[in-house]
Amino acid sequence: MSTETLIGTGINVFTSDVHAVGKIRFLDSPEEVLDFIDGPDVAETIVISRGGTTTFMSPALMSGVAGLITLQGAPESHLGILSREFSIPCVMSTAFTEGIQTSRGETIPADGTTVRLDVTGDKGQVLLVSE
Amino acid sequence: MSDEIDVQLFLQKYKGRYPQGLEGDAQVRAELAVPFIETTDADVRETSLSDDQVNSWLEYAGWNLWDFILGRASEGESGLIPRQEYETVSFVQQWANYPRFVRMFTEELGVDGLLELATTSRREVGTKVNVTRNWAASVCPILGRGIAVDLGFHGAEERREDLEEMIQFGRRLQHGTWGGGPGFVSARGFQVPVLDDDVLATLVAQTRPLEGPARDSFRKFNAKTELFGFMLHYDCRAGMGDTGPYPLPDGRFAIVRDHFLNETAYPWSGVAEGLPYCVTEVLVFPADKVTATVNEIMTTFTKPTNYLDYLVEGVAFARDRIDTPMSELRVLSDAEMDAIAQKCQKGTMDMYKTLAKKSRDEKIRDGIMVYTREFLQSHALKVGLWDKFVAEGFDTMTADAERAWPVLTSGKAAEVLTPVLLFGKGFPTVHKENQTA
Repeated sequence: MSTETLIGTGINVFTSDVHAVGKIRFLDSPEEVLDFIDGPDVAETIVISRGGTTTFMSPALMSGVAGLITLQGAPESHLGILSREFSIPCVMSTAFTEGIQTSRGETIPADGTTVRLDVTGDKGQVLLVSE
Repeated sequence: MSDEIDVQLFLQKYKGRYPQGLEGDAQVRAELAVPFIETTDADVRETSLSDDQVNSWLEYAGWNLWDFILGRASEGESGLIPRQEYETVSFVQQWANYPRFVRMFTEELGVDGLLELATTSRREVGTKVNVTRNWAASVCPILGRGIAVDLGFHGAEERREDLEEMIQFGRRLQHGTWGGGPGFVSARGFQVPVLDDDVLATLVAQTRPLEGPARDSFRKFNAKTELFGFMLHYDCRAGMGDTGPYPLPDGRFAIVRDHFLNETAYPWSGVAEGLPYCVTEVLVFPADKVTATVNEIMTTFTKPTNYLDYLVEGVAFARDRIDTPMSELRVLSDAEMDAIAQKCQKGTMDMYKTLAKKSRDEKIRDGIMVYTREFLQSHALKVGLWDKFVAEGFDTMTADAERAWPVLTSGKAAEVLTPVLLFGKGFPTVHKENQTA
């Protein structure tokens, strides 16, 4: 039986009862985005980007990732608007309470961590799923 | 104003006094010396403005921009296109070169010709002569003035004639579109029901019910064409535009949405080969389940936020070329919508791969071309002035833009831009007694 622990909170872009579950992948460059969409398990991945602009994540949007998390931006930013149009759950300006440190010192869950996005309310929640 | 400010307060209220949204709009307008954000047949013809007129407009524009930017909470950085960098250099570029070209418009068309040009958005869809440009063609270059003043390029009292020319240009476009009253969308309750009734009725009459797989396909078409529009226009909203909400009979409302897919203005436009110039969607929702606002740059926001789950009817049209008459607007079949969506997906990927290889400076320079052309080119094309604009150096980078580039694209940009964009320094007021040039 799995348990869930709240590890991140941000702004929910659009409400949905569909709870995205997937493994985390932090994408930090266009090359990483292109490599990622050519790989397996795209639809079972929740990707993290730093900013809220949409073009950077456009291949991931079109490839149908399970969910999006950003460390910056808000629902009226471009990625927020497009995640809504693609119906991909998205939590923006997310602050994590635990995880690893990026090269810039931001705290994020490590790649491969299984999380669930709760996007039922105004706040978006990122829950660590433990078996 | 003291250099020391309460940052949290200034993020909650413009200049620490005016909140966001309708409440802020009402408060700012109540304190303006004159209601110059509203337009009349007489005052759009004035060629010289008083301090009260200019400053009332500047005060409102400052709040309006703050209200708009705050909603995006600073999008943050892009891993692909340095958009904030190219946008801010573009503002300076626009302030340096737009006034000359705006005067050409006015000299060529006269005020009545400008008013007539701006009626386009009432009669046509799939046109960039729209409400976004009414706003951007004046507010953005005048924000560039604020940046130029902040950077010490000139004083707030200098270039007063340019300032008045740009304010009046924007007001004339607004007046042509709305016929009078408030020119800003924020002063119109964040509603943009701009199409004339007969134009709207013709479009809405062709919607069809959307359920199940048909609705899923329509939503994919909407998403992929919108994303491609962003990509083609270098991650800015020039590639899209919503109008509405339009109340309909039977308790429904419509949003009319343009996605510009084949803008031929740019060197990378080949990526759009085979696509129509614009696709226009009519989206119909039940008014008892969804409410909508549309902001200054023609983007819809709804309550609840998952508005597309409530989409009940829709139709998509193509405007094949920029000059295709409205009478030749055609309804897209399901098969053609699928084909367009696929081309957009391929085009987005092709452009992504190209952009991934471009240098940061190349992308900033490309972005400046987009942002400088987008707000005036469609107007100039429509009245036959574009070739003259190009010949007169419309695309030439100005000395001020080159001078601002290193500052606005460096790590120090936030020091300049945060006070300009968020703390009320972007629209410095004027006083004739202080005028020096």
